[in-house]
Amino acid sequence: MLTKKQNLLETMNGGNPDRFVNQYEFLDIILEAPLRTRPQPGDIITNEWGITYSWPEGQLGPFPIHDDEHRVLKDITKWRDVVKCPSVEFSDERWAPAIEHANSVDRDDKYVTVFFASGTFEMTHNLMGMEDAMMALYEEPEYMHELIEFLTDYELRYAEQIIERIKPNALFHHDDWGGQIASFMSPDMFAEFFLEPYKKAYKFWKDNGIELIVHHSDSYAANLVPHMIDMGIDIWQGVMTTNNTPELIKKYGPDLTFMGELDSGVLDHPTWDKETIAEHVKKACETCGKHYFIPCLTQGLHFSSFPGVYDAATEAINEMSKKMF
Amino acid sequence: MSKIEEVKAHVEKGKSKIVPQLVQEALDAGEAPQEILQAMVDGMGVVGDKFSAGEIFVPEMLIAAKAMSKGVEVLKPHLAGDSGISLGTCVIGTVAGDLHDIGKNLVAMMLESTGFKIVDLGVDVSTEKFLNAIKENDNVTLVTLSGLLSTTMPAMKQSVADIKASGLTGFHVIVGGAPVTPEFAKEIGADGYSPDAGSAAVLAKKLVTA
Ligand code: B1M
Repeated sequence: MLTKKQNLLETMNGGNPDRFVNQYEFLDIILEAPLRTRPQPGDIITNEWGITYSWPEGQLGPFPIHDDEHRVLKDITKWRDVVKCPSVEFSDERWAPAIEHANSVDRDDKYVTVFFASGTFEMTHNLMGMEDAMMALYEEPEYMHELIEFLTDYELRYAEQIIERIKPNALFHHDDWGGQIASFMSPDMFAEFFLEPYKKAYKFWKDNGIELIVHHSDSYAANLVPHMIDMGIDIWQGVMTTNNTPELIKKYGPDLTFMGELDSGVLDHPTWDKETIAEHVKKACETCGKHYFIPCLTQGLHFSSFPGVYDAATEAINEMSKKMF
Repeated sequence: MSKIEEVKAHVEKGKSKIVPQLVQEALDAGEAPQEILQAMVDGMGVVGDKFSAGEIFVPEMLIAAKAMSKGVEVLKPHLAGDSGISLGTCVIGTVAGDLHDIGKNLVAMMLESTGFKIVDLGVDVSTEKFLNAIKENDNVTLVTLSGLLSTTMPAMKQSVADIKASGLTGFHVIVGGAPVTPEFAKEIGADGYSPDAGSAAVLAKKLVTA
């Protein structure tokens, strides 16, 4: 039996995997690494960027508050005065749990993985609100280029720190670039603003020991795939069924591996059931096939909102491996 | 190109700095305010269709809506009544438990540009808030519920049922949002469903003017 890592590489290279790569099994994500304050259920917090998040009790997750009182950046032309970059230096004590976790990973089997969120585009709308962020791309492009460069530099400085501390082998990078049926912006606009900064960032990670770049965008983004390949992404995690993934695999398979097809919105809810999950897993595995594809819930981490859903998907994927390999 | 055509074309392109000036020039040239407004509405109609067809994206729609609203500011003092074209009032909100608002805002913009007066209740809107808004506002012809989370679809179902059972009349209830399907909309008793902002405006106009 191949190790998890070998099996992944066979899948990504169109070789001879001996089973489906099962969701996030090949990534050991070091969530203990210090990055910034994150809210817990019931909290309202202001993080190191000054962004205020609220996570009302009983809700699925946190949400940035963008009313006039809380929005960090109200006028993009003033971003230099307003946006203050948090420090990327953390004490040895803060790093200790992450280092301990990283040291415990069998690197022949799994990738020691950095988790980086929010991505550059998400940061622009967390700071400004989505509407202002998107309109500024038209109305104040120069300032947006500057802000994006500044955010990218922050990522690089953080990368330096974490690379030194835990010597990671993979990066799991969040940045949602679309909704369910369309990308947020046109491929041309995306290229104009985000392609070069991402190329720079992903090259830096790769030049410094990262072997695998997994990018999360649980959305439609089929129209952005050529740019994903160009910027150095190896695996697109979060690919939803609305993308026509089997077609994408046919067209781009050797250049990009697609991880997803199990839409969390449809499967991960309070009244979930195993049968429906198994049906979706079956369809995903049969239509997408054994190469360049990793069946996975589209959610951006290795668990589900409702207990049991992630494990049910894992189990169903194991069943499909028995049938198809 | 006539001044009116220029107004329409610049709304479509989202030129919010130029549109107010063009509207003023059209007025100065003696064009009827009503027709200038109609040109902008038509421009937004084109924007909505292109958005539905995937030819343009969120930023283009946002700047077009902004351009139109800048144009309307110039036009307003010249229009009899408040907006000139009235399809009545639309109460809109994202359902209880759900905080997503980008899609809802786009739908509100398209409805406004078609001729509805918008009462936007924001996000996480309880049934009670919907009902109060229907009671407190004049001439409510449309109630629009948006939902992005599969976990808040039961809240959408409940709100639609309560609004329908409230005894209040004179409006249609329409629903949408990523997890909502035409089948679900029908099942919960909504009067209509649309998949995106452009088609929501088309549907709303059709329902209200039928
Ligand atoms: C007639 O009436 C009508 C007609 C048409 C209507 C209509 C009404 N309403 C909408 N439409 C339609 O017209 C619009 C325009 O054409 C369209 O609107 P849409 O909203 O679909 O489209 C917009 C133009 C663009 N689309 C969007 O804006 C949604 C995009 C995604 C990426 C998304 C975003 C951006 C956000 N999110 Co959230 N988010 C996701 C989304 C993933 C996805 N693939 O969709 C989704 C919806 N989110 C999700 C979740 C879980 C969450 N989010 C949360 C937070 C956020 C952000 C703040 C980061 C941000 C929202 C910013 C904002 N101001 O709205 C939290 C929610 C808290 C809460 N209680 O609401 C949080 C809990 C945090 C988390 N764990 O991820 C998921 C829901 C899963 C589920 N079970 O359903 C999700 C699918 C992502 C995922 N796979 O995890 C149509 O649907």
